[in-house]
Amino acid sequence: MTSKTKTKTKTSPNTDDYLRMYTQMVRIRTFEDNANQLYLAGKMQGLTHMYSGEEAVAVGICEALTDNDRITSTHRGHGHCVAKGANYKEMFCELLGKQEGYCRGKGGSMHIADQSHGNLGANAIVGGSMGIATGSALRAKLLGQDDVTVCFFGDGATAQGLLYEVMNMAALWKLPVIYACENNGYSEYTKTEEIAAGSITARAEAFGIEAFSIDGQDVLGVNELSKKLVARCRNNEGPFFVELMTYRYHGHHVGDINREYYRSKKEEADWKENRDPIIRFRGWLVEQGIATEEEIETLNEQIKQDAKEAVAYAEAAAYPDVAEVDMHVYAETDPATLQAGN
Amino acid sequence: MREITLSQAVNEALAEEMRHDPTTFILGEDVAEAGTPFKVLSGLVEEFGTDRVIDTPISEPGFVGIAVGAALTGARPIVDLMFGDFIYLVMDQLCNQAAKQQYMSGGKLSVPMVLRTNLGATRRSGAQHSQSLHVLVAHIPGLKVALPSSAYEAKGLMKTAIRDNNPVVIIEDKLMYQDKAPVPEDEYLIPFGEANIKREGSDITLIGTSSMVQVAEAAARILESEGISAEVIDPRTIVPLDEETLLKSVRKTSRAIVIDEGHQNYGITGEIASRLNEKAFYYLDAPVLRMGAMDVPVPFSPVLEDLTVPTPERVAENARRLCAGEMIHAA
Amino acid sequence: MPLDVIMPALGMAQDTGVILTWHKSPGDPVSEGEALFEVETDKAAMEVEAQGSGFLTDVTATAGEEVPVGRVVARISETPEETGTTPDIAQEKPTEPDDQTSSAIPEGEQVIMPALGMAQDAGLIVAWRKSPGDPVTAGEILFEVETDKSIVEVDAGHDGFIAALLAEAGEEAPVGDVIAIISSKKPEAPVRRSLKARGTATPAEAAPAAEPAPAKKSASKAPESRPTQQAAPAMGGRILASPKARRLALERGLDLARLVEQGYPQPYHVKDLEVLESLPKATASQLSTAAPGRYLSAEVTADGFGEFAVWAAKEAGLTDAGSLLAAFAGSSLGRKDAIVALEAFGKTRIFAMHGRRLSDLAEAEPEAAPDLRLRDLRFGRLSTIQAGPEDTPVLSVLTSGAGLKLTLECSAEQLDASAAITLLSDFAGRMEQPLRHLL
Repeated sequence: MTSKTKTKTKTSPNTDDYLRMYTQMVRIRTFEDNANQLYLAGKMQGLTHMYSGEEAVAVGICEALTDNDRITSTHRGHGHCVAKGANYKEMFCELLGKQEGYCRGKGGSMHIADQSHGNLGANAIVGGSMGIATGSALRAKLLGQDDVTVCFFGDGATAQGLLYEVMNMAALWKLPVIYACENNGYSEYTKTEEIAAGSITARAEAFGIEAFSIDGQDVLGVNELSKKLVARCRNNEGPFFVELMTYRYHGHHVGDINREYYRSKKEEADWKENRDPIIRFRGWLVEQGIATEEEIETLNEQIKQDAKEAVAYAEAAAYPDVAEVDMHVYAETDPATLQAGN
Repeated sequence: MREITLSQAVNEALAEEMRHDPTTFILGEDVAEAGTPFKVLSGLVEEFGTDRVIDTPISEPGFVGIAVGAALTGARPIVDLMFGDFIYLVMDQLCNQAAKQQYMSGGKLSVPMVLRTNLGATRRSGAQHSQSLHVLVAHIPGLKVALPSSAYEAKGLMKTAIRDNNPVVIIEDKLMYQDKAPVPEDEYLIPFGEANIKREGSDITLIGTSSMVQVAEAAARILESEGISAEVIDPRTIVPLDEETLLKSVRKTSRAIVIDEGHQNYGITGEIASRLNEKAFYYLDAPVLRMGAMDVPVPFSPVLEDLTVPTPERVAENARRLCAGEMIHAA
Repeated sequence: MPLDVIMPALGMAQDTGVILTWHKSPGDPVSEGEALFEVETDKAAMEVEAQGSGFLTDVTATAGEEVPVGRVVARISETPEETGTTPDIAQEKPTEPDDQTSSAIPEGEQVIMPALGMAQDAGLIVAWRKSPGDPVTAGEILFEVETDKSIVEVDAGHDGFIAALLAEAGEEAPVGDVIAIISSKKPEAPVRRSLKARGTATPAEAAPAAEPAPAKKSASKAPESRPTQQAAPAMGGRILASPKARRLALERGLDLARLVEQGYPQPYHVKDLEVLESLPKATASQLSTAAPGRYLSAEVTADGFGEFAVWAAKEAGLTDAGSLLAAFAGSSLGRKDAIVALEAFGKTRIFAMHGRRLSDLAEAEPEAAPDLRLRDLRFGRLSTIQAGPEDTPVLSVLTSGAGLKLTLECSAEQLDASAAITLLSDFAGRMEQPLRHLL
């Protein structure tokens, strides 16, 4: 994970982990602040969905994974991408449709994928990647590989039938997959309670899948559970289902600004002021003596600077050559493999 | 040369490729002990076990999605979709997920999977088990589509489909599973995008796909007895399409009929006819005719169902009129 | 470095925002996160926060103003002084189009450059007969066009007033282009413009804001990018044949029209070319009939020409009535130079015309290839003639009761329908009122 900001060596091995988790959460928040600015300034076109507020979910889970483990992501996917180890430069380039982006500018915000770190890609169909995540886990099992796949999706996606088809098969076949339901309380512009009958975890339990519901704003709690479940998956005890209670600070997408008809400013302020995962963890780090306020400020500044440089780089970067428009429709197949006897 | 059924040919291809590549596996409803309702896969589970010949619940979007994920991460799944009509159920997984991964990732992700299913009416199966829906997938960039017309093609195309690094939809004619054809014992693959000239001729080109290759050949025999020499071409894959072979033939004969079992409206026949028109216009001595299935849901009653699919007699009749230079405004 | 304060993109399909109020005034200190101003968009009011700390400066948009998304509306500077640089405003103000482009084209009936020849895609305007503001009737000549070396007078086609002339004499306008506007009411400010100015007359395309001076750019491009309209093939003359049969006929120099003449049923296919090749060799005159013929006739009184011939012989010493006929026929072609073959009393005489007056006519070398044949059959017994197209258009003059019957026959290739009509109408007009010819 060369991209991550190096921090001062501390005595305890856990110290590094804690600081890295903090760093990753701030990197997500900072990335989103910049992405939001790019959108507001009209520099970034299209649709984008901010992950701000949900950082502890992505970081808590992804810090329990290795590069070899896979994730599938969602339309609200920048957080997963950063948490799984992606670089700012390639990400901003992708957001701006530049040739140096992770997908050479062909994916954009909603399809960003970073195979080098096991991110199989964001998916703009709500619930669209549940089959992919489960298939990745089936592949691991069939080929005797010990990686685990985490399927991120939102509460809104629990309304898709695909989830129940694949959870059924994952349970039947004991696949190493963790279904991570980021319950941010809203299915686009509608309260979750208005679209989901009964309990969300009970849906998984009906298939005999062990399910958990935890505070998604507590990065340590999320990480601790994730580490256990990942280990159990590797031990052939999967699949698992985790509901993470969290909150998105922005609207459904960046243009969703007038949202008082579905949620109050008071509620938003409460989550931001009292349950922010970064503020909470920062307080804990200082309290535990893992870092000082100054050290944390320096770290924050460094990340801001990194983002600024990456944005400037991406803005100046080249668009793909127009000749690329019909490239990558089909993957190449080595003609030699199509010969008899090979 | 030995003759085997199309069903045996597919079975052989799967077995050979599964021996050849340990990352391949079969996924679908009743594929293991049952060997599918058409018994195409019989015996495979005995050789490869239930780890590689996996029975799924009746969850088409689910297991196609799972195949996409497995393919995306290094396996080569072969999905069995019991009836071609179920393609509608899996459109998101096939067209939004499988077809677009390579492109959306700028070439970094690929989905080497095979979806094998079937087409074909006149089996008295009613409107939801008789459709020929290859045009739906042929329309989607990122998918390849193969249509074997005999046991020989079924084996050679299946082996190529499994080794290809893209999602390939291979659609067999379910009425042809018991039809025998000469199939070499030695290994062979049929490359995609290479049409097969089944029969040479000089007066008219009959382009048939899948089930309609036999119809075109039968029509050619009728025409031969009347002194009309018909060339019969089987494109074998409609994506990619071997335009060159088709154009070369039509430039020679100046007339063509395209025959396909999909619905005629907005169909494969229209696509191929249009390409001939665009690229061989000044060689045409007659309008290129389309002959697809009637634009009605497939009826059950045998008397009605048989009317919906092109027959050799109707192909021959149209060919005769084209060759006679009648002014044809096709029905 | 000062921070730009921009009008943010807030809604899904929003491209501007209205500033409701400023919460800060120029020179005020601001800190990051403080509300700077309130914006209304998509019916929602939204506070825009400062992205950094400093002093509000360079405010360029006032409350109530609607501002495009992405536009800098102020800056946050390190000092309360204005930086004095407001680049966006200066740059992004839409460039005022120059006067010529801004004058709107008046409303009214459009007069287009007509397709007059077979393969003509533009016509040269020789002269306008009307000026902007003039009243005009539908049948009046509005302008003269040169095409395929002939000059054609074109009617106004509509009653009203000349509201605009959109091309100047001497300019070549593509077929189908609007070159004049005729309004029903007398225009207050009739327009006169050259074709060259027209590129800018099209409403300025919405160009991306970043593109400077879009109007000028499109002005220089427009003339080249205008699609040239092909003259429509003559209707009715279409032979039904397969694309391949047409191509092979062209390659082998075969004329499918001969199959039509011989009565073979259409459509033609390649096999019909064998029949065509086996037909007896056509004579020179037949060969040129590449398309079926046109046949037009007109009847006029005989008095006009008769009296004129008498007058010409007496007063001007022009005793050769045939040459008068040739002159009338030649000038009806509407071009400056024309060769006319006059067939009368079993003899063929060739005349060359070099102008539009009687004195511009002279007998020419018999070898000269005629543009038009004139058959003077006034003193024969024929009452009608329909001999089919020949190597040139043929005008025949027959006696019909007390008057004269004039016919024009030609192939579709030689004259399109409107040119044929013009030719015969013109000739008929001259025969009926010969004095008009002298004016």
